[in-house]
Amino acid sequence: MTDSSPISATDGSPAPAPTTGQPASTSKTVTAVIAANFTNWLPYILVPVLFILSLFFISGYFSKLSIISLLILASLLGLSSLGQTMTIIAGGIDLSIPAVIGLSDIIVTQLYYKHWSLPVIFLAIAALAIFVGTINAVSSVLLHVHSLITSFGMSLVVSGVALEWSNGATTGAVPGWLTSSVSAIGHTGPIPIPLIIIVWAVASVLAVAFMRLTRVGRETYALGANAVAARLATVRSTWVLVVVFSISALCAAMTGVFFAGYSGIPDPTVGQPYFFLTITAVMIGGTSLLGGRGGYLRTVMGALIVAELTTLLVGVGFNASFQELALGILVIALTSTYGRELKVAAKI
Amino acid sequence: MSSADGATRLVIEGLSRSFGETRALTSATLRVRPGEIHSLAGENGSGKSTLIKILSGVLQPDSGTLTWEGDVTRLGNPSSAQGMGIATVFQETLIAPEMTVRDNIYLGTDRLFRYGRRKGEEVAGARQALSDLGLDGLDLDRPMWTLSLAERQLTTVARAIIRPWRLLILDEATSALDHHQRDRLFDYLRLSRSEGKSVLFTSHRMDEVLGLADRITVLRQGATVATMAGSEASRIGILGHMSGRAGVGDVVTAEPAPRRPGEREQGPSQRPVLRVEELTLRATSKPISMEVGAGQILGLAGLEGQGQVEFVECLSGLRRPAAGHVLALGGNGESRPVRSYRGANRLGIRYVPRDRRHEGLFGPLSVFDNFAVTLWTDLNRLGWLRRQQARKRFDDFAGSSRLVSASPRHPISTLSGGNQQKVLLGRWIAMRPRVLVVNDPLRGVDHNTKEELYGLFRRLAAGGVAIVFLSTEIVELLTLTDQIAVFHEGSLVAMLPTEMSSDTDVVAAMFGDQRAGDGEPGRDGEPGRDGQRGGDGEPGRDGQRGGGADG
Repeated sequence: MTDSSPISATDGSPAPAPTTGQPASTSKTVTAVIAANFTNWLPYILVPVLFILSLFFISGYFSKLSIISLLILASLLGLSSLGQTMTIIAGGIDLSIPAVIGLSDIIVTQLYYKHWSLPVIFLAIAALAIFVGTINAVSSVLLHVHSLITSFGMSLVVSGVALEWSNGATTGAVPGWLTSSVSAIGHTGPIPIPLIIIVWAVASVLAVAFMRLTRVGRETYALGANAVAARLATVRSTWVLVVVFSISALCAAMTGVFFAGYSGIPDPTVGQPYFFLTITAVMIGGTSLLGGRGGYLRTVMGALIVAELTTLLVGVGFNASFQELALGILVIALTSTYGRELKVAAKI
Repeated sequence: MSSADGATRLVIEGLSRSFGETRALTSATLRVRPGEIHSLAGENGSGKSTLIKILSGVLQPDSGTLTWEGDVTRLGNPSSAQGMGIATVFQETLIAPEMTVRDNIYLGTDRLFRYGRRKGEEVAGARQALSDLGLDGLDLDRPMWTLSLAERQLTTVARAIIRPWRLLILDEATSALDHHQRDRLFDYLRLSRSEGKSVLFTSHRMDEVLGLADRITVLRQGATVATMAGSEASRIGILGHMSGRAGVGDVVTAEPAPRRPGEREQGPSQRPVLRVEELTLRATSKPISMEVGAGQILGLAGLEGQGQVEFVECLSGLRRPAAGHVLALGGNGESRPVRSYRGANRLGIRYVPRDRRHEGLFGPLSVFDNFAVTLWTDLNRLGWLRRQQARKRFDDFAGSSRLVSASPRHPISTLSGGNQQKVLLGRWIAMRPRVLVVNDPLRGVDHNTKEELYGLFRRLAAGGVAIVFLSTEIVELLTLTDQIAVFHEGSLVAMLPTEMSSDTDVVAAMFGDQRAGDGEPGRDGEPGRDGQRGGDGEPGRDGQRGGGADG
């Protein structure tokens, strides 16, 4: 359903065989296409498969509470990976996500504790996020270095600020609704689903629409696919980077706010695992680290897979180190099957 | 007739290779004997490079046989080809710029550890190879990037010949060399021939082919169409086989083009849309002034690196000239200077780059996305795409340009080179350009698509678009353009009216021969305007056609 939009089906689909003209060797091409398309659909297949597997291995898995818990886990990862997907499609990468999560967690818990009004806190966080994202993008353009470097530097700066700010502070406060927004028994108004899941669902729809239906979205793909050609095609490279890195920082900040609700106390290191987790979700979904191919719907699948796999492994009794090992193997196994295109030579 | 004549080093029969829809080689046949210099001739896109890549183990053929010194062989990879004694110098000068000359020469010969050889041996070997090629004084410890283009090219030849070889393949390996360097290289090749070695080379310079080759094999559209002895070959004969047109010599040298019939006689009435004022490309070159009119196709010619590329870059705002201006002229006489690439685009000057893959295509994206990327500038409502309109423009373009594409949703990489080029052109044509600046757009495009693209350019011009068309193929310029501006050493040396020019005129001007332009650039003020559309080209042309068979 997702890859069938009439125009923008550039969701990393490996090259189908040309149907006009005379294909070089028909049988070989047909098998290649089937194989390529199969691996291309793997993330969409893995989500239900893992779910069914978990049903067998974990008693009581098919309950509302356990499914909601799973979705909360996926939402935290999915939200923080939203902007990451875009920066990677644009040919960059955002390493400052964990730091921004941490800083935003500190800001909410500290300022709310000091009785600032919530709208002001959220506005301040949003402004800060846009500032961080803009600096990430603009410095990368001006200094002619990959955003890997600028966002890594930014990550150190932001972490430093967060640590300094929270220095010694162990007390903080968050509003009650924020706590229940990430609780499995939380409600969103009359809907018996915690807020974070609804936020994630809405953000996902917006992100997919943004990438497919807006000018900046299409320019993001073009920039990531070929930066030189993008410039010559008058793509607004700097603007695209500013937008996607700002979105990335905004998503990280939002994740940080939800984390604050989760624990209620200030913790500048709360985002730490998301250094690799966001990239894992993006890669498992099938968005190429080389840029220009993939999409957020794939990352949604990636986040669900990570959450399901983690839950499954915990349920079966494996420890945290084994979970990382399993995720690592999954990343390598899946990404090696993605993008099995015609060989480079065949494109000459 | 197969291998009865025992004295063949390499026999190729019925070799074919396709890339997706493009059939680069359909049936190539070739025999190379020991002690022979063999030339492989063919137009761009005739399959020469593909054949050479197969011979050097870079590509595998789809079908056909390859017999090396009596044994049917498969060359699975480049090192197996090298192991058998086939050394190749590729068209692209493949170097590691940060490494030294010596390391570049020995690139790829290391085994597990680098220092399998003693340094002394390495130095002696490299010196020998370089001095064979006339580069005796070259410092082996210099980083590669400090070398001139010609020196780099010779170093890649040296890299090939330090390995034991019995067949040396040179793919356009002389393009950057001057006459003296070229002669040294040819001396070396002749010497090797006398030692019983074989050489297979391609060159765009007909005099090299005729002067050096013992035998010549001509490829056309992926198939071998003729093999002849060098002593019996003539320029006209080879060109005839290459293009497949009987008596092509007459067509090319005498009547340049099957021109647009009856369309606008080149009157001075064409409204100028682009004006170049005292443009200086390099500190040492002469200023250029000219105008390009709506509906005019101006060709740009020159040997590699003579300023024509800088010129198109100045026109499109990618490069600031050393001095002078490029002005876009509006309908009501106003003129606006081109200051930046974006600025040029706003003025309707659209640039189609030369390197399709690196500067034009978005490899992972679909055909439609590749086409529409520029359209979104206009076709959006508050940033949201107006896809129906874009789709309509795509369908219009695909129809009118006869784009061969299974589906606009398929990746652009599934298209043949020619169809990819159509999409890149379409990207700008759909933006309704006033001036289209194209940098060698028909490179690597197959014959039929080339004809279609000629048609496309002509229709555009008929619709009032001014086209500046840089090409490395003189035949293309003679076929398509109204005038040909020839560059030499950074200056415009001739402005030839195409109808009254032969390829000899163009070549002569490319080598800086002033006769061709009839003293054109010497005239102050306005070379390239109405004046020389008239009689100026005429006298020079007749004089040259007499001796035009090339020497």
